[in-house]
Amino acid sequence: MIPHQLALVRREIWEHRSLYITPAVVGLIMVLTLLTAFVFASGYQEIVDIGIVGAQSLASEAHRRAALLGVLLGNTAPFLVASGILTVFYCLDCLYAERKNKSILFWRSLPITDAETVISKFLTAALAIPLIAFAVVVVTHILILLLTGIFISIEGGSSMLLVWQSAPLFDAWTGMLIIMILLPIWFSPFIGWLLFVSAWTKRSPLLMAFLPLILVPTLEYWLFRTHLIGDAIQSRFTQLPIFKNIDVRTLFDEEKFIANVDAVSLIGYIDIGAFLSSPQMWVGIVVCGLFMTGAIYVRRYRDDS
Amino acid sequence: MTSLVSARGVSKRFGDVHAVDNVSFEIQNGKIMGLIGPNGAGKTTLLKAVLGLTDCDGELNVLGLDPFKQRKQLMQNISFIADVAVLPRWIRVTQLLDFMQATHPNFSRKRADELLARTKVRPDAKVRELSKGMVTQLHLSIITAIDARLLVLDEPTLGLDIIFRKEFYGNLLNDYFDGERTILITTHQVEEVENLLTDIMFINDGRIILDRSMDSLTEAYAELIASGENADKARRLNPIHERDVFGKKVMTFEGISRDQLDGLGEVHTPSVADLFVAKIKGAAT
Repeated sequence: MIPHQLALVRREIWEHRSLYITPAVVGLIMVLTLLTAFVFASGYQEIVDIGIVGAQSLASEAHRRAALLGVLLGNTAPFLVASGILTVFYCLDCLYAERKNKSILFWRSLPITDAETVISKFLTAALAIPLIAFAVVVVTHILILLLTGIFISIEGGSSMLLVWQSAPLFDAWTGMLIIMILLPIWFSPFIGWLLFVSAWTKRSPLLMAFLPLILVPTLEYWLFRTHLIGDAIQSRFTQLPIFKNIDVRTLFDEEKFIANVDAVSLIGYIDIGAFLSSPQMWVGIVVCGLFMTGAIYVRRYRDDS
Repeated sequence: MTSLVSARGVSKRFGDVHAVDNVSFEIQNGKIMGLIGPNGAGKTTLLKAVLGLTDCDGELNVLGLDPFKQRKQLMQNISFIADVAVLPRWIRVTQLLDFMQATHPNFSRKRADELLARTKVRPDAKVRELSKGMVTQLHLSIITAIDARLLVLDEPTLGLDIIFRKEFYGNLLNDYFDGERTILITTHQVEEVENLLTDIMFINDGRIILDRSMDSLTEAYAELIASGENADKARRLNPIHERDVFGKKVMTFEGISRDQLDGLGEVHTPSVADLFVAKIKGAAT
Protein backbone atom coordinates (compact mmCIF):
# COMPACT_ATOMS: atom_id res chain seq x y z
CA MET A 1 0.00 0.00 0.00
CA ILE A 2 2.63 2.56 1.06
CA PRO A 3 5.24 1.76 -1.65
CA HIS A 4 2.36 1.82 -4.13
CA GLN A 5 1.32 5.25 -2.93
CA LEU A 6 4.89 6.55 -3.13
CA ALA A 7 5.11 5.42 -6.76
CA LEU A 8 1.73 6.98 -7.53
CA VAL A 9 2.58 10.31 -5.89
CA ARG A 10 5.93 10.32 -7.69
CA ARG A 11 4.05 9.87 -10.95
CA GLU A 12 1.90 12.91 -10.10
CA ILE A 13 5.04 15.00 -9.58
CA TRP A 14 6.45 13.78 -12.93
CA GLU A 15 3.25 14.75 -14.67
CA HIS A 16 2.65 18.05 -12.91
CA ARG A 17 6.05 19.68 -13.01
CA SER A 18 4.43 22.92 -11.85
CA LEU A 19 4.33 21.37 -8.37
CA TYR A 20 8.02 22.16 -7.95
CA ILE A 21 8.58 24.74 -10.67
CA THR A 22 6.04 27.18 -9.17
CA PRO A 23 7.59 27.38 -5.67
CA ALA A 24 11.06 27.48 -7.25
CA VAL A 25 10.04 30.49 -9.37
CA VAL A 26 8.52 32.23 -6.33
CA GLY A 27 11.77 31.67 -4.40
CA LEU A 28 13.87 32.90 -7.29
CA ILE A 29 11.79 36.09 -7.64
CA MET A 30 12.19 36.78 -3.93
CA VAL A 31 15.95 36.30 -3.97
CA LEU A 32 16.29 38.51 -7.06
CA THR A 33 14.08 41.20 -5.50
CA LEU A 34 16.27 41.20 -2.42
CA LEU A 35 19.42 41.52 -4.54
CA THR A 36 17.90 44.49 -6.38
CA ALA A 37 16.95 46.05 -3.05
CA PHE A 38 20.54 45.74 -1.80
CA VAL A 39 21.87 47.40 -4.94
CA PHE A 40 19.44 50.29 -4.39
CA ALA A 41 20.17 50.43 -0.67
CA SER A 42 23.89 50.77 -1.23
CA GLY A 43 23.11 54.16 -2.78
CA TYR A 44 21.88 55.39 0.62
CA GLN A 45 25.04 54.75 2.61
CA GLU A 46 24.10 56.86 5.66
CA ILE A 47 20.77 55.21 6.25
CA VAL A 48 22.30 51.77 5.87
CA ASP A 49 25.06 52.65 8.34
CA ILE A 50 22.59 54.03 10.86
CA GLY A 51 20.45 50.92 10.48
CA ILE A 52 23.36 48.57 11.08
CA VAL A 53 24.73 50.56 14.03
CA GLY A 54 21.22 50.79 15.49
CA ALA A 55 20.56 47.09 15.12
CA GLN A 56 23.93 46.18 16.62
CA SER A 57 23.98 48.53 19.59
CA LEU A 58 20.44 49.53 20.45
CA ALA A 59 18.26 46.54 19.75
CA SER A 60 18.33 43.55 22.06
CA GLU A 61 18.75 39.94 20.99
CA ALA A 62 15.01 39.46 21.51
CA HIS A 63 14.18 42.39 19.24
CA ARG A 64 16.41 41.06 16.52
CA ARG A 65 14.85 37.64 16.87
CA ALA A 66 11.33 39.06 16.59
CA ALA A 67 12.29 41.22 13.62
CA LEU A 68 13.93 38.32 11.79
CA LEU A 69 10.98 36.04 12.54
CA GLY A 70 8.81 38.70 10.89
CA VAL A 71 11.13 38.72 7.87
CA LEU A 72 11.10 34.93 7.58
CA LEU A 73 7.31 34.70 7.91
CA GLY A 74 6.81 37.55 5.46
CA ASN A 75 8.96 35.65 2.99
CA THR A 76 6.87 32.52 3.48
CA ALA A 77 3.52 34.15 2.77
CA PRO A 78 3.94 34.23 -1.06
CA PHE A 79 4.65 30.48 -0.96
CA LEU A 80 1.43 29.83 0.94
CA VAL A 81 -0.57 31.83 -1.60
CA ALA A 82 1.19 30.09 -4.52
CA SER A 83 0.61 26.65 -2.94
CA GLY A 84 -3.08 27.42 -2.50
CA ILE A 85 -3.52 28.38 -6.16
CA LEU A 86 -1.38 25.44 -7.25
CA THR A 87 -3.52 23.03 -5.21
CA VAL A 88 -6.72 24.28 -6.88
CA PHE A 89 -5.33 23.85 -10.38
CA TYR A 90 -3.66 20.52 -9.62
CA CYS A 91 -6.83 19.01 -8.11
CA LEU A 92 -8.97 20.16 -11.02
CA ASP A 93 -6.55 18.75 -13.57
CA CYS A 94 -5.48 15.45 -12.05
CA LEU A 95 -8.59 13.35 -12.79
CA TYR A 96 -9.73 15.42 -15.76
CA ALA A 97 -6.61 15.40 -17.94
CA GLU A 98 -6.28 11.59 -17.84
CA ARG A 99 -9.74 11.36 -19.41
CA LYS A 100 -9.10 14.12 -21.94
CA ASN A 101 -5.80 12.64 -23.14
CA LYS A 102 -7.24 9.10 -23.01
CA SER A 103 -4.44 7.74 -20.83
CA ILE A 104 -7.02 6.66 -18.23
CA LEU A 105 -7.49 3.26 -19.90
CA PHE A 106 -3.76 2.65 -19.78
CA TRP A 107 -3.62 3.50 -16.07
CA ARG A 108 -6.67 1.33 -15.49
CA SER A 109 -5.01 -1.58 -17.32
CA LEU A 110 -2.56 -1.80 -14.40
CA PRO A 111 -3.25 -3.55 -11.09
CA ILE A 112 -4.11 -0.36 -9.24
CA THR A 113 -7.58 0.29 -7.84
CA ASP A 114 -9.49 3.49 -8.47
CA ALA A 115 -9.46 4.14 -4.72
CA GLU A 116 -5.65 3.94 -4.63
CA THR A 117 -5.43 6.35 -7.54
CA VAL A 118 -7.79 8.94 -6.04
CA ILE A 119 -6.07 8.67 -2.65
CA SER A 120 -2.71 9.29 -4.33
CA LYS A 121 -4.11 12.48 -5.89
CA PHE A 122 -5.31 13.61 -2.46
CA LEU A 123 -1.92 12.84 -0.89
CA THR A 124 -0.21 14.81 -3.64
CA ALA A 125 -2.43 17.83 -2.97
CA ALA A 126 -2.43 17.62 0.82
CA LEU A 127 1.10 16.40 1.49
CA ALA A 128 3.42 16.59 -1.53
CA ILE A 129 2.56 20.18 -2.48
CA PRO A 130 3.17 21.57 1.06
CA LEU A 131 6.33 19.47 1.61
CA ILE A 132 7.85 20.57 -1.70
CA ALA A 133 6.92 24.19 -0.94
CA PHE A 134 8.41 23.86 2.53
CA ALA A 135 11.71 22.56 1.14
CA VAL A 136 11.88 25.53 -1.24
CA VAL A 137 10.98 27.90 1.63
CA VAL A 138 13.95 26.61 3.65
CA VAL A 139 16.33 27.02 0.70
CA THR A 140 14.98 30.52 0.00
CA HIS A 141 15.37 31.51 3.65
CA ILE A 142 18.98 30.32 3.67
CA LEU A 143 19.73 32.24 0.46
CA ILE A 144 18.05 35.38 1.79
CA LEU A 145 19.98 35.23 5.05
CA LEU A 146 23.25 34.51 3.21
CA LEU A 147 22.75 37.51 0.91
CA THR A 148 21.77 39.71 3.85
CA GLY A 149 24.83 38.53 5.77
CA ILE A 150 27.12 39.33 2.84
CA PHE A 151 25.50 42.75 2.40
CA ILE A 152 25.92 43.56 6.11
CA SER A 153 29.55 42.41 6.05
CA ILE A 154 30.29 44.60 3.01
CA GLU A 155 28.69 47.55 4.78
CA GLY A 156 30.90 46.96 7.79
CA GLY A 157 28.41 45.30 10.13
CA SER A 158 28.60 41.93 11.87
CA SER A 159 26.61 39.34 9.97
CA MET A 160 27.27 36.86 12.76
CA LEU A 161 25.56 39.08 15.31
CA LEU A 162 22.78 40.47 13.12
CA VAL A 163 21.86 37.38 11.10
CA TRP A 164 23.16 34.03 12.19
CA GLN A 165 22.93 34.40 15.98
CA SER A 166 19.58 36.12 15.84
CA ALA A 167 17.62 34.25 13.17
CA PRO A 168 15.06 31.98 14.90
CA LEU A 169 15.42 29.31 12.23
CA PHE A 170 14.25 26.34 14.27
CA ASP A 171 11.18 28.19 15.53
CA ALA A 172 10.29 29.63 12.11
CA TRP A 173 10.81 26.40 10.17
CA THR A 174 9.16 24.04 12.65
CA GLY A 175 6.22 26.42 12.98
CA MET A 176 5.91 26.85 9.21
CA LEU A 177 6.07 23.11 8.62
CA ILE A 178 3.27 22.50 11.13
CA ILE A 179 1.12 25.23 9.58
CA MET A 180 1.78 24.03 6.02
CA ILE A 181 0.72 20.50 6.97
CA LEU A 182 -2.36 21.58 8.95
CA LEU A 183 -3.68 24.03 6.34
CA PRO A 184 -4.54 21.40 3.67
CA ILE A 185 -6.23 19.27 6.34
CA TRP A 186 -8.35 22.25 7.34
CA PHE A 187 -9.18 22.99 3.71
CA SER A 188 -9.61 19.28 2.82
CA PRO A 189 -13.36 19.59 2.04
CA PHE A 190 -12.36 21.89 -0.83
CA ILE A 191 -9.67 19.45 -1.96
CA GLY A 192 -12.27 16.65 -1.93
CA TRP A 193 -14.75 18.80 -3.84
CA LEU A 194 -12.17 19.78 -6.49
CA LEU A 195 -11.13 16.13 -6.95
CA PHE A 196 -14.75 15.15 -7.37
CA VAL A 197 -15.35 17.86 -9.98
CA SER A 198 -12.17 16.82 -11.76
CA ALA A 199 -13.36 13.20 -11.96
CA TRP A 200 -16.92 14.10 -12.86
CA THR A 201 -17.08 17.08 -15.19
CA LYS A 202 -17.02 16.67 -18.95
CA ARG A 203 -15.82 20.24 -19.56
CA SER A 204 -14.56 23.47 -17.92
CA PRO A 205 -13.56 22.06 -14.52
CA LEU A 206 -12.71 25.51 -13.13
CA LEU A 207 -16.19 26.86 -13.86
CA MET A 208 -17.86 23.66 -12.67
CA ALA A 209 -15.94 23.86 -9.40
CA PHE A 210 -16.61 27.49 -8.53
CA LEU A 211 -20.08 28.10 -9.90
CA PRO A 212 -21.80 25.76 -7.37
CA LEU A 213 -19.91 27.48 -4.52
CA ILE A 214 -21.84 30.64 -5.43
CA LEU A 215 -25.06 29.15 -6.80
CA VAL A 216 -25.82 26.62 -4.06
CA PRO A 217 -25.74 29.14 -1.17
CA THR A 218 -27.81 31.57 -3.27
CA LEU A 219 -30.34 28.85 -4.01
CA GLU A 220 -30.45 27.86 -0.37
CA TYR A 221 -31.21 31.42 0.68
CA TRP A 222 -33.81 31.78 -2.04
CA LEU A 223 -35.60 28.57 -1.09
CA PHE A 224 -35.22 28.39 2.68
CA ARG A 225 -34.04 31.87 3.68
CA THR A 226 -31.06 30.24 5.44
CA HIS A 227 -27.28 30.64 4.99
CA LEU A 228 -26.03 27.30 6.32
CA ILE A 229 -23.92 26.31 3.33
CA GLY A 230 -22.67 29.83 2.68
CA ASP A 231 -21.67 30.19 6.31
CA ALA A 232 -19.93 26.80 6.30
CA ILE A 233 -17.89 27.82 3.25
CA GLN A 234 -17.11 31.25 4.63
CA SER A 235 -16.12 30.02 8.08
CA ARG A 236 -13.42 27.83 6.51
CA PHE A 237 -11.64 31.05 5.64
CA THR A 238 -12.40 33.10 8.74
CA GLN A 239 -12.15 30.63 11.62
CA LEU A 240 -8.86 28.85 11.23
CA PRO A 241 -8.34 26.93 14.52
CA ILE A 242 -4.57 26.66 14.20
CA PHE A 243 -3.47 29.64 16.29
CA LYS A 244 -3.90 30.34 19.97
CA ASN A 245 -6.41 32.92 20.89
CA ILE A 246 -4.09 35.90 20.58
CA ASP A 247 -5.34 39.41 20.31
CA VAL A 248 -3.98 40.23 16.87
CA ARG A 249 -3.72 43.91 17.78
CA THR A 250 -0.84 43.18 20.18
CA LEU A 251 1.25 42.16 17.19
CA PHE A 252 0.78 45.51 15.50
CA ASP A 253 0.75 47.77 18.59
CA GLU A 254 4.38 48.76 19.00
CA GLU A 255 4.32 49.25 22.77
CA LYS A 256 2.51 46.02 23.55
CA PHE A 257 4.69 44.17 21.07
CA ILE A 258 7.90 45.43 22.64
CA ALA A 259 6.59 44.57 26.10
CA ASN A 260 6.08 40.96 24.98
CA VAL A 261 9.04 40.71 22.66
CA ASP A 262 10.75 37.94 24.63
CA ALA A 263 7.73 35.70 24.12
CA VAL A 264 7.60 36.10 20.34
CA SER A 265 7.64 32.60 18.84
CA LEU A 266 5.78 31.07 15.94
CA ILE A 267 5.53 27.66 17.62
CA GLY A 268 4.21 29.48 20.67
CA TYR A 269 1.33 30.86 18.60
CA ILE A 270 0.29 27.46 17.24
CA ASP A 271 -2.28 25.41 19.11
CA ILE A 272 -2.35 21.85 17.77
CA GLY A 273 -4.68 20.76 20.56
CA ALA A 274 -7.29 23.31 19.49
CA PHE A 275 -6.92 22.12 15.89
CA LEU A 276 -7.36 18.43 16.73
CA SER A 277 -10.32 19.10 19.01
CA SER A 278 -12.09 21.34 16.51
CA PRO A 279 -15.34 19.67 15.45
CA GLN A 280 -15.28 21.75 12.26
CA MET A 281 -11.95 20.19 11.31
CA TRP A 282 -13.36 16.67 11.71
CA VAL A 283 -16.56 17.54 9.87
CA GLY A 284 -14.34 18.85 7.07
CA ILE A 285 -12.47 15.55 6.88
CA VAL A 286 -15.75 13.65 6.65
CA VAL A 287 -16.98 15.96 3.86
CA CYS A 288 -13.68 15.45 2.05
CA GLY A 289 -14.08 11.68 2.41
CA LEU A 290 -17.58 11.83 0.93
CA PHE A 291 -16.44 13.82 -2.10
CA MET A 292 -13.48 11.48 -2.60
CA THR A 293 -15.80 8.47 -2.45
CA GLY A 294 -17.83 10.19 -5.16
CA ALA A 295 -14.70 10.70 -7.25
CA ILE A 296 -13.71 7.02 -6.87
CA TYR A 297 -17.23 5.93 -7.79
CA VAL A 298 -17.34 8.10 -10.90
CA ARG A 299 -13.91 6.93 -12.07
CA ARG A 300 -14.91 3.31 -11.55
CA TYR A 301 -18.40 3.27 -12.97
CA ARG A 302 -18.54 5.87 -15.66
CA ASP A 303 -17.62 4.54 -19.04
CA ASP A 304 -17.08 7.42 -21.40
CA SER A 305 -14.09 6.21 -23.34
CA MET B 1 -7.73 -28.03 -20.78
CA THR B 2 -8.98 -25.21 -18.59
CA SER B 3 -11.10 -22.25 -19.49
CA LEU B 4 -9.37 -18.95 -19.00
CA VAL B 5 -12.43 -16.94 -19.86
CA SER B 6 -15.93 -18.25 -19.55
CA ALA B 7 -19.06 -16.26 -20.32
CA ARG B 8 -22.62 -17.46 -19.80
CA GLY B 9 -25.51 -15.28 -20.85
CA VAL B 10 -23.50 -12.08 -20.68
CA SER B 11 -25.43 -8.94 -21.63
CA LYS B 12 -24.75 -5.25 -21.49
CA ARG B 13 -27.36 -2.63 -22.24
CA PHE B 14 -27.04 1.07 -22.81
CA GLY B 15 -30.60 2.30 -22.45
CA ASP B 16 -32.58 0.38 -25.05
CA VAL B 17 -29.53 -0.72 -27.00
CA HIS B 18 -28.21 -4.22 -26.41
CA ALA B 19 -24.49 -3.71 -26.97
CA VAL B 20 -23.87 -7.30 -25.91
CA ASP B 21 -26.88 -9.61 -26.02
CA ASN B 22 -26.89 -12.88 -24.08
CA VAL B 23 -23.44 -14.02 -25.16
CA SER B 24 -21.84 -17.30 -24.09
CA PHE B 25 -18.36 -18.55 -24.96
CA GLU B 26 -15.21 -20.08 -23.53
CA ILE B 27 -11.58 -19.27 -24.22
CA GLN B 28 -9.17 -22.09 -23.42
CA ASN B 29 -5.69 -21.69 -22.07
CA GLY B 30 -2.98 -21.29 -24.74
CA LYS B 31 -5.29 -20.15 -27.52
CA ILE B 32 -5.11 -17.12 -29.75
CA MET B 33 -8.70 -16.08 -30.15
CA GLY B 34 -9.77 -13.53 -32.75
CA LEU B 35 -12.94 -11.59 -32.07
CA ILE B 36 -14.16 -10.18 -35.36
CA GLY B 37 -17.11 -7.91 -35.92
CA PRO B 38 -18.23 -4.76 -37.71
CA ASN B 39 -18.18 -1.37 -36.01
CA GLY B 40 -20.72 -1.12 -33.24
CA ALA B 41 -21.11 -4.91 -33.02
CA GLY B 42 -20.26 -4.91 -29.32
CA LYS B 43 -16.62 -6.03 -29.56
CA THR B 44 -15.19 -3.27 -27.42
CA THR B 45 -17.99 -3.54 -24.86
CA LEU B 46 -17.37 -7.27 -24.56
CA LEU B 47 -13.62 -6.72 -24.15
CA LYS B 48 -14.26 -4.06 -21.52
CA ALA B 49 -16.45 -6.48 -19.60
CA VAL B 50 -13.68 -9.11 -19.78
CA LEU B 51 -11.20 -6.53 -18.50
CA GLY B 52 -13.44 -5.44 -15.64
CA LEU B 53 -13.72 -1.92 -17.03
CA THR B 54 -17.47 -2.13 -17.24
CA ASP B 55 -20.07 -4.14 -15.35
CA CYS B 56 -22.46 -6.49 -17.15
CA ASP B 57 -25.32 -8.89 -16.55
CA GLY B 58 -24.88 -12.65 -16.69
CA GLU B 59 -22.03 -14.83 -15.58
CA LEU B 60 -18.54 -13.76 -16.59
CA ASN B 61 -15.48 -15.42 -15.20
CA VAL B 62 -11.92 -14.51 -16.14
CA LEU B 63 -9.02 -16.45 -14.58
CA GLY B 64 -11.48 -17.58 -11.94
CA LEU B 65 -12.25 -13.99 -10.95
CA ASP B 66 -15.19 -11.65 -11.33
CA PRO B 67 -13.55 -9.06 -13.56
CA PHE B 68 -15.51 -6.03 -12.38
CA LYS B 69 -15.34 -6.75 -8.67
CA GLN B 70 -11.80 -8.11 -8.57
CA ARG B 71 -10.19 -5.84 -11.14
CA LYS B 72 -6.97 -5.32 -9.19
CA GLN B 73 -6.17 -9.03 -8.82
CA LEU B 74 -7.25 -9.61 -12.41
CA MET B 75 -4.94 -6.91 -13.79
CA GLN B 76 -1.94 -8.60 -12.21
CA ASN B 77 -2.47 -11.42 -14.70
CA ILE B 78 -3.95 -9.62 -17.69
CA SER B 79 -2.31 -7.16 -20.02
CA PHE B 80 -4.16 -4.94 -22.37
CA ILE B 81 -3.30 -2.88 -25.44
CA ALA B 82 -6.05 -0.85 -27.04
CA ASP B 83 -6.11 1.86 -29.61
CA VAL B 84 -7.97 3.94 -27.05
CA ALA B 85 -5.68 3.14 -24.09
CA VAL B 86 -3.00 5.62 -24.97
CA LEU B 87 0.29 5.85 -23.15
CA PRO B 88 0.46 9.24 -21.41
CA ARG B 89 2.30 11.65 -23.69
CA TRP B 90 4.12 13.53 -20.94
CA ILE B 91 5.90 10.51 -19.48
CA ARG B 92 9.52 9.53 -20.14
CA VAL B 93 10.33 5.95 -21.12
CA THR B 94 12.47 5.46 -18.00
CA GLN B 95 9.73 6.93 -15.81
CA LEU B 96 7.21 4.56 -17.32
CA LEU B 97 9.49 1.59 -16.64
CA ASP B 98 10.17 2.79 -13.07
CA PHE B 99 6.45 3.14 -12.50
CA MET B 100 5.66 -0.32 -13.87
CA GLN B 101 8.39 -1.82 -11.72
CA ALA B 102 7.01 -0.14 -8.62
CA THR B 103 3.36 -1.01 -9.18
CA HIS B 104 3.16 -4.25 -11.17
CA PRO B 105 4.15 -7.41 -9.27
CA ASN B 106 4.62 -9.44 -12.49
CA PHE B 107 6.66 -6.89 -14.43
CA SER B 108 10.27 -7.73 -15.34
CA ARG B 109 12.36 -4.59 -15.77
CA LYS B 110 15.23 -6.62 -17.17
CA ARG B 111 13.07 -8.12 -19.89
CA ALA B 112 11.59 -4.72 -20.80
CA ASP B 113 15.05 -3.19 -21.09
CA GLU B 114 16.18 -6.06 -23.34
CA LEU B 115 13.14 -5.72 -25.58
CA LEU B 116 13.46 -1.95 -25.83
CA ALA B 117 17.17 -2.19 -26.64
CA ARG B 118 16.15 -3.87 -29.91
CA THR B 119 14.01 -0.90 -30.92
CA LYS B 120 14.85 2.70 -31.72
CA VAL B 121 13.03 3.93 -28.61
CA ARG B 122 15.53 5.93 -26.53
CA PRO B 123 15.15 5.46 -22.75
CA ASP B 124 15.28 9.21 -22.05
CA ALA B 125 12.68 10.12 -24.70
CA LYS B 126 9.24 11.34 -23.79
CA VAL B 127 6.31 9.47 -25.27
CA ARG B 128 5.22 12.63 -27.13
CA GLU B 129 8.54 12.66 -28.98
CA LEU B 130 8.01 9.14 -30.35
CA SER B 131 6.23 8.23 -33.58
CA LYS B 132 2.99 6.26 -33.34
CA GLY B 133 4.81 3.11 -34.39
CA MET B 134 7.46 3.57 -31.71
CA VAL B 135 4.81 4.18 -29.06
CA THR B 136 3.23 0.85 -30.01
CA GLN B 137 6.65 -0.83 -29.85
CA LEU B 138 7.11 0.63 -26.39
CA HIS B 139 3.68 -0.50 -25.28
CA LEU B 140 4.20 -4.02 -26.63
CA SER B 141 7.62 -4.24 -24.96
CA ILE B 142 6.10 -3.29 -21.61
CA ILE B 143 3.23 -5.72 -22.02
CA THR B 144 5.58 -8.52 -23.13
CA ALA B 145 7.68 -7.94 -20.01
CA ILE B 146 4.63 -8.62 -17.84
CA ASP B 147 4.26 -12.26 -16.97
CA ALA B 148 0.55 -12.23 -17.69
CA ARG B 149 -1.69 -15.16 -18.51
CA LEU B 150 -4.07 -13.31 -20.81
CA LEU B 151 -3.28 -10.55 -23.26
CA VAL B 152 -6.17 -8.54 -24.68
CA LEU B 153 -5.53 -6.57 -27.87
CA ASP B 154 -8.15 -4.14 -29.16
CA GLU B 155 -7.22 -2.77 -32.60
CA PRO B 156 -3.56 -2.74 -31.53
CA THR B 157 -2.15 -1.74 -34.91
CA LEU B 158 -4.65 0.94 -35.92
CA GLY B 159 -2.92 3.78 -37.72
CA LEU B 160 0.41 2.01 -38.08
CA ASP B 161 2.19 1.51 -41.38
CA ILE B 162 2.60 -1.96 -42.84
CA ILE B 163 6.17 -2.45 -41.59
CA PHE B 164 5.27 -1.73 -37.97
CA ARG B 165 2.17 -3.89 -38.26
CA LYS B 166 4.12 -6.91 -39.54
CA GLU B 167 6.78 -6.37 -36.90
CA PHE B 168 4.14 -6.05 -34.17
CA TYR B 169 2.63 -9.44 -34.90
CA GLY B 170 6.06 -10.96 -35.43
CA ASN B 171 7.20 -9.77 -32.02
CA LEU B 172 3.92 -10.84 -30.49
CA LEU B 173 4.44 -14.43 -31.64
CA ASN B 174 8.17 -14.60 -31.00
CA ASP B 175 8.48 -12.75 -27.71
CA TYR B 176 5.12 -12.96 -26.06
CA PHE B 177 3.35 -16.10 -27.08
CA ASP B 178 4.80 -19.29 -25.68
CA GLY B 179 1.86 -21.68 -25.89
CA GLU B 180 1.07 -21.12 -22.21
CA ARG B 181 -0.20 -17.63 -22.58
CA THR B 182 -3.52 -16.73 -24.12
CA ILE B 183 -4.36 -13.89 -26.46
CA LEU B 184 -7.72 -12.33 -27.25
CA ILE B 185 -7.55 -9.98 -30.18
CA THR B 186 -9.94 -7.79 -32.13
CA THR B 187 -9.02 -6.03 -35.33
CA HIS B 188 -10.46 -4.86 -38.62
CA GLN B 189 -7.33 -5.93 -40.43
CA VAL B 190 -8.37 -9.57 -40.41
CA GLU B 191 -5.88 -10.66 -43.11
CA GLU B 192 -2.98 -9.78 -40.86
CA VAL B 193 -4.03 -11.92 -37.94
CA GLU B 194 -5.63 -14.76 -39.86
CA ASN B 195 -2.49 -16.90 -39.84
CA LEU B 196 -1.78 -16.55 -36.17
CA LEU B 197 -5.23 -17.27 -34.78
CA THR B 198 -6.07 -20.68 -33.37
CA ASP B 199 -9.73 -19.84 -32.75
CA ILE B 200 -12.20 -17.35 -34.08
CA MET B 201 -15.44 -15.70 -33.00
CA PHE B 202 -17.69 -13.47 -35.10
CA ILE B 203 -19.89 -10.98 -33.33
CA ASN B 204 -22.70 -9.00 -34.89
CA ASP B 205 -25.41 -6.89 -33.25
CA GLY B 206 -24.22 -8.01 -29.84
CA ARG B 207 -24.58 -11.72 -30.68
CA ILE B 208 -21.96 -14.33 -31.44
CA ILE B 209 -22.66 -15.78 -34.86
CA LEU B 210 -19.62 -18.02 -35.18
CA ASP B 211 -17.33 -19.58 -32.60
CA ARG B 212 -14.94 -22.35 -33.62
CA SER B 213 -11.31 -23.33 -34.10
CA MET B 214 -9.49 -22.20 -37.23
CA ASP B 215 -8.73 -25.84 -38.11
CA SER B 216 -12.41 -26.70 -38.19
CA LEU B 217 -13.22 -23.89 -40.63
CA THR B 218 -12.04 -26.09 -43.50
CA GLU B 219 -14.53 -28.81 -42.60
CA ALA B 220 -17.44 -26.49 -42.12
CA TYR B 221 -17.02 -23.91 -44.84
CA ALA B 222 -16.15 -24.03 -48.48
CA GLU B 223 -15.91 -21.42 -51.16
CA LEU B 224 -16.71 -22.29 -54.74
CA ILE B 225 -15.79 -20.32 -57.82
CA ALA B 226 -18.11 -21.31 -60.61
CA SER B 227 -19.75 -19.90 -63.70
CA GLY B 228 -22.70 -20.54 -66.02
CA GLU B 229 -24.59 -23.77 -65.53
CA ASN B 230 -22.37 -24.94 -62.70
CA ALA B 231 -23.23 -21.80 -60.80
CA ASP B 232 -26.92 -22.54 -61.14
CA LYS B 233 -26.38 -26.09 -59.91
CA ALA B 234 -24.35 -24.86 -56.97
CA ARG B 235 -26.99 -22.29 -56.08
CA ARG B 236 -29.41 -25.13 -55.42
CA LEU B 237 -27.13 -26.24 -52.56
CA ASN B 238 -28.09 -23.02 -50.72
CA PRO B 239 -24.89 -21.01 -50.42
CA ILE B 240 -24.97 -18.61 -47.49
CA HIS B 241 -23.48 -15.90 -49.66
CA GLU B 242 -22.80 -15.19 -53.30
CA ARG B 243 -20.77 -12.51 -55.02
CA ASP B 244 -19.43 -11.67 -58.45
CA VAL B 245 -15.74 -11.67 -59.21
CA PHE B 246 -14.66 -11.00 -62.82
CA GLY B 247 -17.89 -12.43 -64.22
CA LYS B 248 -17.68 -15.58 -62.12
CA LYS B 249 -19.78 -16.41 -59.11
CA VAL B 250 -18.08 -16.92 -55.77
CA MET B 251 -20.33 -18.81 -53.34
CA THR B 252 -19.77 -19.60 -49.71
CA PHE B 253 -21.24 -22.82 -48.32
CA GLU B 254 -21.82 -23.87 -44.76
CA GLY B 255 -22.08 -27.55 -43.83
CA ILE B 256 -21.83 -28.77 -47.40
CA SER B 257 -19.23 -31.47 -47.98
CA ARG B 258 -16.62 -30.82 -50.62
CA ASP B 259 -17.65 -33.96 -52.51
CA GLN B 260 -20.94 -32.30 -53.36
CA LEU B 261 -19.13 -29.31 -54.84
CA ASP B 262 -16.63 -31.38 -56.80
CA GLY B 263 -16.83 -30.77 -60.49
CA LEU B 264 -18.74 -27.52 -60.12
CA GLY B 265 -15.64 -25.36 -60.07
CA GLU B 266 -12.69 -24.39 -57.99
CA VAL B 267 -13.19 -25.22 -54.27
CA HIS B 268 -11.17 -23.91 -51.39
CA THR B 269 -11.50 -22.71 -47.81
CA PRO B 270 -12.75 -19.13 -47.63
CA SER B 271 -10.51 -16.49 -46.09
CA VAL B 272 -11.66 -15.21 -42.73
CA ALA B 273 -12.48 -11.85 -44.27
CA ASP B 274 -14.67 -13.42 -46.98
CA LEU B 275 -16.31 -15.76 -44.51
CA PHE B 276 -16.99 -12.81 -42.24
CA VAL B 277 -18.70 -10.88 -45.04
CA ALA B 278 -20.65 -14.00 -46.02
CA LYS B 279 -21.88 -14.60 -42.49
CA ILE B 280 -22.83 -10.97 -41.85
CA LYS B 281 -24.47 -10.43 -45.25
CA GLY B 282 -25.97 -13.91 -45.19
CA ALA B 283 -27.55 -13.24 -41.84
CA ALA B 284 -28.98 -9.98 -43.17
CA THR B 285 -30.73 -11.47 -46.23
